[in-house]
Amino acid sequence: MSITQETLKKHMKDPAILCCLTQKGTVIGAEELEDPTIFPDMIESGLMEVTEDGLLIEDVVGKTLADDADALKSITADMLVEPVLPEIENKPVKPVTQKNKTAITDSTIKDNIHLEINELKGLSLDLPAGFSLGQIVDSGSSNETDETIEDIDKGELTHFEYKVNEVKIGHESSFENGVLTVNENKIADSLKIPLVKKVSIDVIKPEERHVYTETIMDVVPIATKVEGVLGEGTSNILKGAVFMLTGIDEAGIQIHEFGSSEGFLDEKMAFDRPGAADEKDIIIRVHVVIEENTGMERRGPFAAHSALDVIMQDVRDSLKKVRETPNATYHYQDIYRKGRPKVVLVKEIMGQGAMHDNVLMPTEPAGVLGGQKNVDLGNVPVVLTPNEVRDGGIHALTCIGPATKEMTRHYFREPLVHALADDEELNLMGVVFIGSPQVNDEKMYVSRRLGRTIGAMDVAGAIVTTEGFGNNHIDFAANIEAIGKQGVPVVGVSFCAYQGQLVVGNQYMDAMVEINKDAEGFENEIAAYSSIAEEDANRAILMLKTKMAGIPIEAPERKWDASIINANQTITNESVE
Amino acid sequence: MMKLTTAVGLKSEIFVPNTPPAVWSPLTKPLAECRVAFATAGGIHKKTQKPFNLSGDSTYRIIESDTPSDELMVSHGGFDNSDINKDVNAMFPIDRLHELEADGFIGSVAPQLFGFMGGGGNVKNFKEKVGPEIADLLKKEHVDVCIITGGCGTCHRSATIVERAIEAKGISTCIIAALPPIARQQGAPRITAPHVPIGSNAGEPNNIKMQTSILKDTLHFVEDAESFGSLKVLPYEYRHNV
Repeated sequence: MSITQETLKKHMKDPAILCCLTQKGTVIGAEELEDPTIFPDMIESGLMEVTEDGLLIEDVVGKTLADDADALKSITADMLVEPVLPEIENKPVKPVTQKNKTAITDSTIKDNIHLEINELKGLSLDLPAGFSLGQIVDSGSSNETDETIEDIDKGELTHFEYKVNEVKIGHESSFENGVLTVNENKIADSLKIPLVKKVSIDVIKPEERHVYTETIMDVVPIATKVEGVLGEGTSNILKGAVFMLTGIDEAGIQIHEFGSSEGFLDEKMAFDRPGAADEKDIIIRVHVVIEENTGMERRGPFAAHSALDVIMQDVRDSLKKVRETPNATYHYQDIYRKGRPKVVLVKEIMGQGAMHDNVLMPTEPAGVLGGQKNVDLGNVPVVLTPNEVRDGGIHALTCIGPATKEMTRHYFREPLVHALADDEELNLMGVVFIGSPQVNDEKMYVSRRLGRTIGAMDVAGAIVTTEGFGNNHIDFAANIEAIGKQGVPVVGVSFCAYQGQLVVGNQYMDAMVEINKDAEGFENEIAAYSSIAEEDANRAILMLKTKMAGIPIEAPERKWDASIINANQTITNESVE
Repeated sequence: MMKLTTAVGLKSEIFVPNTPPAVWSPLTKPLAECRVAFATAGGIHKKTQKPFNLSGDSTYRIIESDTPSDELMVSHGGFDNSDINKDVNAMFPIDRLHELEADGFIGSVAPQLFGFMGGGGNVKNFKEKVGPEIADLLKKEHVDVCIITGGCGTCHRSATIVERAIEAKGISTCIIAALPPIARQQGAPRITAPHVPIGSNAGEPNNIKMQTSILKDTLHFVEDAESFGSLKVLPYEYRHNV
């Protein structure tokens, strides 16, 4: 395949390789040259050779071939009619397409680097003289932070947190003196939901984790509104206890079985991840059996989540009446930080129907009733405030791989939402949820809507995350492109590693954060194992700020390599301290 | 002035792929003389065969083409199975192939067809084992054309890897893709793209007319496509009401 003039201009410093058998006397131009962006794949598969004496594209354009020449080999000076005087010491021996972005070297940093940020008005960065690669750049001086920058308060959310010390199964839901009682009579109500055949409740204490569990469908925090609507006012929340939903169908098949997580609980959950139960949590397990063969259809898993919600609502109602002094109180402020660069967080959620769905903005924190499913909303972008997310605005119905799906508790404690909302250097405009539809045309439709939504927000930076891997990476790539095309710097966050290698990509995906935590790079079927953790959020935010400042992010290695992630983490940890 | 904490030396952590090199075997005889095979990454197998491991499986099942379609089933964890449960031809149009043979549209249906579960699959295994093995078996049976369906996202990747191995053996291939960007990015030689959801890649269940049209148009495209990576959008639309 030959290349376009545009590609030619971008790759003048890359090796010159003929794309086809070319005849003597041909004047070399874009049509005769192979595309440098595919060199690595070609070399890897043994189809192409780049030799040391090979010329660069800039050396050969307009020159005439002295003899017939083969495809996919380096063009050398002796193959041309006109003489070429190559500066050998500057010639790369390998393709440089992946490397030439590393523009800053010690020698370039002499006195000061002055960086202009296009997306900001009036910001300039003066970097200290003589810093070396890998060094953290704190681009403000201490007295500047004392300047008063006006903030606009957009709303407050208060969480009153109560500590659970013991959980009992009884005949009336209540919470008193640290003892939570779950009303098992509510099982009868949950059985009225169509497709629900059997429901059971039991309690798993922290020291009794080596118990068999069917696939972990969800982990749901216990919280209820006391005053105001979701995202504002006050909520009562419980610490130290969490609900876990498991499910099978009547034939014993695991519900939403794409790598289900049945097995011993201590081996099947990554405790202390934002979406999982914590090591010290008491787990209240609700196990639901649904009608045979409905586990892979949309209605089956939803019935199981609805059954859980019936039982949880009784607990929530009792929690509303608690008048004890809370163990802790958290105030969350939605703030418009005037003068700070506007950023947005985009969270791609599953929306392929079947068991890939979520409930947005239920009436109760992390509940089901009163919300709308993103599939029913056409998977179009929906904006939530950070406080709406932190107050349980998403109930996850998603089934995708246990390690990479985001469960309901993940959204409640989503580290990127908390970190961005608390970051005084940034002005978080909102959290956009966008579904990943099943049909390709619809994927493109929602991505375009996302691009326009972000364009209208006039932001200086965006982070795009996705749970899962596979066809949702089409959306992930399209979403990043839609935002990148608006001139907004984007950082992408996903599980890819080995098993989830990206299947599509584009030029805007040049600053990416890997959330895999499995040593082999696989979806290891341990719930929440490779979901976004606090350290991932910190890397993503630092990478975003760096990209916004125009400081280069180096190109990735061609294969997943955990040491790259560790190196970024080291840089990030130093900057967060 | 304000603070913005940045760092030098950060490196992007995820590789973004380019399309692999071309593989291309043009069709050299009329369809009416061709032996046509079918392979799917959509998890189809005989009811008597071992089901696929739903979380990722790099094995394949040989499906003799005289197997009645009601003796086939799906084991696939990557998408809603309800359409295939209604009609296996929605992913694996075995009945339509026999009808095309009876009509003389194609020469014959190959004796062996193939099912595998492309979701979450091991790339290396598909590249080095499954693809070349299926390609060898097809070549042994003198197959001229092989049509392929994906399924989920990673299935399209696995399907394309297998497709490329078959094409590399000199057999003309085409993937009927619900997710054409994946097929294209992974280097599928020919792609047809009806407007269908994952799970009914070969057309609406029990809609014989649509399934036949998609298959016929795809076979015509095997004849007509001029270069590697060609894509044709097909004018059939089916929305899965989940």
